Amino acid sequence: MASVSLGKKKPATTKISMNQGISSGISEEILQTRAYFNRLKIRLGLAVLACFIIPHVLLSVYFHWQFTTALKKTGKLNIEALAKSQRNTIDLFLREREMNIRNLFYSKEFTPDPGEQKMLFFLQTLNHFSDAFVDVGFLNHRGIQTGYAGPFPALLNKDYKNEEWFSRLMAEQVKDYVITDVYLGFRNKPHFTIALKMTIDRRVCIMRSTIDPDKFYMFLRSIGKVKEVDTTLINQIGTYQLVDPLKANLLEKSSYVPPRDLNTGIHERTDEDEIMLMAHAWLNEVPWVLIISQPLKIIHAQMYKTRNAMFVNLAIITLFLGVVIWITASRLLNRAQTVAEESVQLQTQLIHASKLASVGELATGVAHEINNPLAIITSTVGVVRDMLNPRFNLDSSPAAINKELNTIESAAFRASGITRQLLDFGRKNEPQKGMHNINDIFDKVLQSFTKHRLDLADIELVRNYAPDLPDIKIDADHISQVFLNMLNNAEDAIKEKGTITVSTNFDRRFIRIKIQDTGEGMPLERIKEIFNPFYTTKEPGKGTGLGLSISLGIINGMGGSIEVQSLPGKGSIFTISLPADTPTNPKTSNLDRGEKK
Amino acid sequence: MNVLLVDDEEKFRTAVARQLTVRGYTVHEAGTGEQGIAIARTTTLDIVILDMRLPGMNGTAVLKEIKQISPLTEVIMLTGQATVKTAMEAITMGAFDYMTKPMGIDELIYKMEDAHKKRKLKTQQINAAAPADENNEQTN
Repeated sequence: MASVSLGKKKPATTKISMNQGISSGISEEILQTRAYFNRLKIRLGLAVLACFIIPHVLLSVYFHWQFTTALKKTGKLNIEALAKSQRNTIDLFLREREMNIRNLFYSKEFTPDPGEQKMLFFLQTLNHFSDAFVDVGFLNHRGIQTGYAGPFPALLNKDYKNEEWFSRLMAEQVKDYVITDVYLGFRNKPHFTIALKMTIDRRVCIMRSTIDPDKFYMFLRSIGKVKEVDTTLINQIGTYQLVDPLKANLLEKSSYVPPRDLNTGIHERTDEDEIMLMAHAWLNEVPWVLIISQPLKIIHAQMYKTRNAMFVNLAIITLFLGVVIWITASRLLNRAQTVAEESVQLQTQLIHASKLASVGELATGVAHEINNPLAIITSTVGVVRDMLNPRFNLDSSPAAINKELNTIESAAFRASGITRQLLDFGRKNEPQKGMHNINDIFDKVLQSFTKHRLDLADIELVRNYAPDLPDIKIDADHISQVFLNMLNNAEDAIKEKGTITVSTNFDRRFIRIKIQDTGEGMPLERIKEIFNPFYTTKEPGKGTGLGLSISLGIINGMGGSIEVQSLPGKGSIFTISLPADTPTNPKTSNLDRGEKK
Repeated sequence: MNVLLVDDEEKFRTAVARQLTVRGYTVHEAGTGEQGIAIARTTTLDIVILDMRLPGMNGTAVLKEIKQISPLTEVIMLTGQATVKTAMEAITMGAFDYMTKPMGIDELIYKMEDAHKKRKLKTQQINAAAPADENNEQTN
């Protein structure tokens, strides 16, 4: 037996919430199509955008990471190099100052017991080389300052033999000079001393000078690049030897002392919510360490700049791509939506056209149906006329006439009933879904159009309805049309006597409607054709060739399928399967197949 | 005049029958083709008024049968649908003419009388032909 099954060909659009206010006048199908396309538009837009944006973001993040890693590394190297170069400059400065003092011993004016005039000259000489020199003093081997020039004349003849630096200098074996830490001393003002001993005529004498830390600081600030960083000098126990007066005072303790064993190094620390990068370098001339620090955010300013630029860049590209994609997707999908909507409308129109065609096919049968009651009316009118005609001498009592009028009236109602049913069916209805029982719909179709015709054509109709058929949400008008098409086809297939068996059953998920005829049947080649639009085997003028095509469209739209089995000479079986839970399935027009035998 | 009226619409049948009866016709009624044929077998009928669409045996089959039983009986076909095709079909099968429902009684009677005339003519022809044949035989 040849068999062809036609299932759903198109994916169903999913459920939508429908605004009843808007829906009036617009069919449910069109609203569903619109909602479907709106969702599609958003999904497509996001997907395409993601395709462009994700690689872009990943690349940007990767390059930014590479860039910042390199930048952080260079930042550290830079600050360490700066610390080293400054350390060398300071060492050189101190060494120069020591040389300035040493040169005094070798000057022509030097005598072992310099007087006031000579000391003033020495101070001038020193100041000629650096304004950091505050004063100059000459001490004998007992530690008495025998000569002095500078702003503290009271220091003349002062005894320094118990001063720490004096003892150190005298004890010093390798070097002939000392550079002290910053201290207050007799003058009670922060300063540090460079003292140099020299043996003249077997007597040790000492030349010393003090350096103004402020001037020293000014000198440091004058070195290039240092303005961007914070520079301090501390001794090995952490006392400030040199510091920005705005940050701390001299001789106060620094909270950070770099390890002595690391000549230079880098250290990161958090200071009042700010991460500082610190580089240190131990001096060679004195046990002091130079610390320069800079906030990380300044070092990484360039990094933040590029990061911001990257974000702006990303945002602009995303926005631009978004707009372009949205416009393109909208255009594309609007076009597709228009086509889909037109197709839905076309489907509705086609269903109506096919309905009218079915009505046309019915018309011959219906003419007979209507003419019969009309014939009863005219002939009964003739009877009444005869009764009123004295020639025939009949019973013309009101009761007798009334009886005839009743016959006329009931025949008139019968005729109007037929026309009303025909009009009901032919009316162009907007798709309207409701809960219906398939058995009831079938009975109605049979009652309205086909039963009497089948009687006349000597076709037996057998009904095998399943009693437990659940109601399903369908468009009764549309499904009626499918049944009518099927019954018309079955009737046409039966040339002489025959039987049409209509059975329904329910298997939990599907309601199956089987229409079986004992007609002439079809070969497989024809089954393949019958669902194509305009395929018909009926004589010209009788069939449009649209019935099965439309029926398949309607059934597919309900989420169902039609299966055909046929054996030439034995008959055909059309099985319609409808999902029992159909409330949400949409109508997607399927006009690519379909029609009558 | 013996008339057989075959139609499945009982009310129509009786109404037409009553009108014909008061006008002096003898009317036999049948609701199906089979009943009509049964009457045709037992009764000499002048005219048969036969509906095209009948349950069971249809109008054309009944026409054929009646024409076989009694070739001289004239049959007027009744139809709900007036198409040249059905008319041609009926006439080629030996019907006298066809009428479209609904029709007036006068129209029907006019056609019946026409048919009756034809039947009479045919009977006369046959009657005339029979002696003529005999004569021929004699002369030959």
